[in-house]
Amino acid sequence: MSLADLAAAERPGAPAETPAPPRGAFGRLLRSELRLVLGRRRNLVLLVGLALVPVLLGTVLFVTRDTAISAGGPPFVDRVTGNGLFLVLTALVACLPLLLPLVIGIVSGDAVAGEAQAGTLRYLLLLPVPRTRLLAAKALAVLVFAACTVLAIALSGLVTGAAYFGIGDVTLLSGDTVSAAEGLARTAGIVAYVGLSLTGLVALGLFFSTLTEVPVAAMAATVVVAIVSGVLDALPQLSAIHGALLTHHWLDVGELLRTQIDLGVLGQGLAVQGAWVAIFGALAWSRFTTADVSS
Amino acid sequence: MTGPSAPADGTAAEPAVRTRGLTKRFRSGQVAVDGIDLEVPHGAIYGFLGPNGSGKTTTLRMVLGLVSPTSGTTTLLGETMPGAGPRVLPHVGALVEGPAFHPYLSGRANLDRLDAADATADPRSRDLRAAAALERVGLGAAARKPYRQYSLGMKQRLGLAAALLRPRDLLVLDEPTNGLDPQGTREVRHLLRELADAGTTVLVSSHLLGEIEQVCTHVGVMSRGRLLVQGPPEQLATDGESTVAVTTTAPCLDGATQLLADLGLTGVRRDGRTLTARLGMVAPEKISAAMVGAGLDLVGLEVRRPRLETLFVELTGEGFDVAR
Amino acid sequence: MASTAPARSLSPRARWAVPAGVAAVVAGAFVAPSVIASASSDLPELTPAELLVKVAEAEPVPLSGTVVYTARLGLPDLPLSEVQGASPLDLLGGSSTIRLWSDGEDRSRAALLGSLSEFSVVRDGPQAWTYSSSDDEVVHYTVDADDLERYGELDDAARSGAAPEVAGDLPTPAEAADALLAYAALSTDVSVGTATQVAGRDAYQLGLVPRTDGTLVDRVLVAVDAETSAPLRVQVWATGDTQTPALEVGFTDVSFTAPDDAVFDFTAPPGATTTEVEVPLPDPADHEGTDPEDLKDLGAFDGVAVSGFGWETVVEVEGVDIEGLLAGDPAAATALPGMDRSFGSEGAQDLYGELVGEEGTVPGVPEIDAAALYDQLTQEVPEGRLLTSALLSVLVTDDGRVLAGAVPAEVLRDLA
Repeated sequence: MSLADLAAAERPGAPAETPAPPRGAFGRLLRSELRLVLGRRRNLVLLVGLALVPVLLGTVLFVTRDTAISAGGPPFVDRVTGNGLFLVLTALVACLPLLLPLVIGIVSGDAVAGEAQAGTLRYLLLLPVPRTRLLAAKALAVLVFAACTVLAIALSGLVTGAAYFGIGDVTLLSGDTVSAAEGLARTAGIVAYVGLSLTGLVALGLFFSTLTEVPVAAMAATVVVAIVSGVLDALPQLSAIHGALLTHHWLDVGELLRTQIDLGVLGQGLAVQGAWVAIFGALAWSRFTTADVSS
Repeated sequence: MTGPSAPADGTAAEPAVRTRGLTKRFRSGQVAVDGIDLEVPHGAIYGFLGPNGSGKTTTLRMVLGLVSPTSGTTTLLGETMPGAGPRVLPHVGALVEGPAFHPYLSGRANLDRLDAADATADPRSRDLRAAAALERVGLGAAARKPYRQYSLGMKQRLGLAAALLRPRDLLVLDEPTNGLDPQGTREVRHLLRELADAGTTVLVSSHLLGEIEQVCTHVGVMSRGRLLVQGPPEQLATDGESTVAVTTTAPCLDGATQLLADLGLTGVRRDGRTLTARLGMVAPEKISAAMVGAGLDLVGLEVRRPRLETLFVELTGEGFDVAR
Repeated sequence: MASTAPARSLSPRARWAVPAGVAAVVAGAFVAPSVIASASSDLPELTPAELLVKVAEAEPVPLSGTVVYTARLGLPDLPLSEVQGASPLDLLGGSSTIRLWSDGEDRSRAALLGSLSEFSVVRDGPQAWTYSSSDDEVVHYTVDADDLERYGELDDAARSGAAPEVAGDLPTPAEAADALLAYAALSTDVSVGTATQVAGRDAYQLGLVPRTDGTLVDRVLVAVDAETSAPLRVQVWATGDTQTPALEVGFTDVSFTAPDDAVFDFTAPPGATTTEVEVPLPDPADHEGTDPEDLKDLGAFDGVAVSGFGWETVVEVEGVDIEGLLAGDPAAATALPGMDRSFGSEGAQDLYGELVGEEGTVPGVPEIDAAALYDQLTQEVPEGRLLTSALLSVLVTDDGRVLAGAVPAEVLRDLA
């Protein structure tokens, strides 16, 4: 059963006295949520901060290129100076382990707990906004924000990379070379995969957010899970559970840079994210629709 | 303004709020609300009194469906909560445990946000309704200021404006005068009366009796999770003892003292030119008639009924013994 | 939770059952395929001899697939954090994924996958490339002009499966199975195990159990595709742990259709460092004897001595300049006896090559401190330095001899 089905099931037929809900009620709620999330100065600062990562990275590489210190660093770094398109990948990969989980953790952890702490949650529920519908709107708004984080890095990386180093044919990991257009398409695929890879984290953050009235606790818990997942992923003794870890498949994004893209690999990564979304989405729903709002 | 439960024939029907055996036991084991039977008649201004921590807010949260009761039932505007929430709550305006808004949004933007989230509100009339609600609570001029710059009183007013964003059949106001200066408190009282005159039932809680006593048509007093009494204030007050104070001129003092004793009043005391005595079953008008008949000067006559305050203190105790 | 939910349609208990149900469905969705995959198949029964014949007669088939290689050799932890990206060193321990394409003839490609890196080996007839994405380095192997003529003949030999792969750096099931089947006739109990499924295909299992106790190998299972007779999986158990295979190479996904030709076309990417290596073709005489009986022919190489037999075989190489090798001196490498030729057993050569001193000779291997790695992998013994692993022991003596074999370390030390 999808969230939408549940939302529909929960809404009893409106009695005649109640003005029939004007069409697009959910759309208005969602727009209002988006304005709240994307209009908030803190969140904008986070987006700008992420967008600055590729700018900073590109500038450093531009200044140090052809010098002795240009070698080393994160994956692809040595390729950026030859092709600005790689700046997008370098920046995304550099942000994946910590910065992106941090930003997503902040916004998703804040989604419900922030409103609970401020007390605005009780007034939303008294309007009334059905809890399932409110949770769905919050989840969508955070997902949109997550997409914005990835796009902010990607677009900023693309513009910075093109300006500093230009864009040319792309050498794949397999050593084959593809045209700039195909490189761009593959980069778009990478951006999409990274964005979708963050959905599990969004669901997790949302669940933590329903557990507490202290947003910082939910944010911290979300980030900690992402980090612990990375740590567990590095322990060979736990290889049996690696495949199920939240972060395990994040770097499978490299598949898009191989000569023959195995969609099964990407599908597996997305299926694991889907599993996390399903489980923690359901948990968040159970918790939120049964919890006492006592703040 | 007709809600789901608006009685066709006036006051006799279903109360606006009724609870039966409403109980909330927290997971800690503490019983915050202990089997209360609240009854707010339609059209009343119900003063819900009790010291801090007596369980008023938890009761209101249960009435509104924010908190699930451990046991007991609630009907709100004639329908059973919390199931009827989606149908009933649009007709209920509420201010629970202080106003709460997004600090970085303006007062107006906060109201817009609430209205946009309300599936049953008509977005076309939003501007008009929001402006009218802000005007009504005296925030018209500060509508565009960020909420975080509001004073405590202004925040309270914005909370009221949110409750008044749409026409309501029932207003549930938890400590609406908190943080308001005496002027603001008077304005709120005036507002409540105005709303009640227009047919809105008001359930208003306070730990300060004096602030709402004057406007209440009904009173309930809570202490330590229990509802001690409820009913119209005069009905509650007559249970206590009334006194009468008769002011006369100096030459007539002795005569008047004798007269009061003759009429059957007890405990006559002299305080300057004023005599006080327990009224007992004697009608006050008999005293004035007897004074005039005996040719005694009657400068003033005042019947002192026991104030609700006294009752309140009697019921809930005095001092800083906050219930919990 | 309280008795009444804020919304009436479902009780709190029912609401909490939803995530439990979701979790069950998710677990089912992820576990079900492996349950189905492990379902037994009903293949006609074969005797070991029939199965061996089937394998021997099988024509090489075009295929593409994914191979997972897992080694639990019990080697010390390598400082692999120093190594960025996929490299053949990954094969020393842990699990590696290799993607494989072959046209069934003389074109093949193998890619060792790392996260965000790849080590590719492409063979296109008489030439081959390796490409390491982390170093952006290409090595181009070609056959020298004189030998190119003879290539055609050898190509025919390759089709019959007799010639060694030029790109023998990455283990493939076919290779490993070939090597093990070569041993099969000697001192081994061969049986047909229960049919199984590998990568979703029905497969026979050939079991090999050494008759001797003098080896580190406990048993070997080779899964052979029932349809194409291509080896799908090889598992080797060591005597140290008879539960978990010490070495496992198998397809997780395979398709026996001809891969897209473009896969075999390799052009060195612009900007990459390219090294040209000219490979002399092996003398045809060396290749008539891939028969296991000829294993002793190894001794025909200068400075190479073979002792023991079958599973207990120990290869001894003399005059190895270990220090030179570790320093990456190519002269030291070419001085290795038999380095320019081929061992009769590819498997032994592979293991030998992986574990001992090819660091200096394979330009595709990332620059790590080979001496430090060597120190870490080996331990000091009176005779020299000793490497022990679950399946293989290697002893490097102080006087420049290298002894290796799938035997306990004591055997090597006694021999030295």
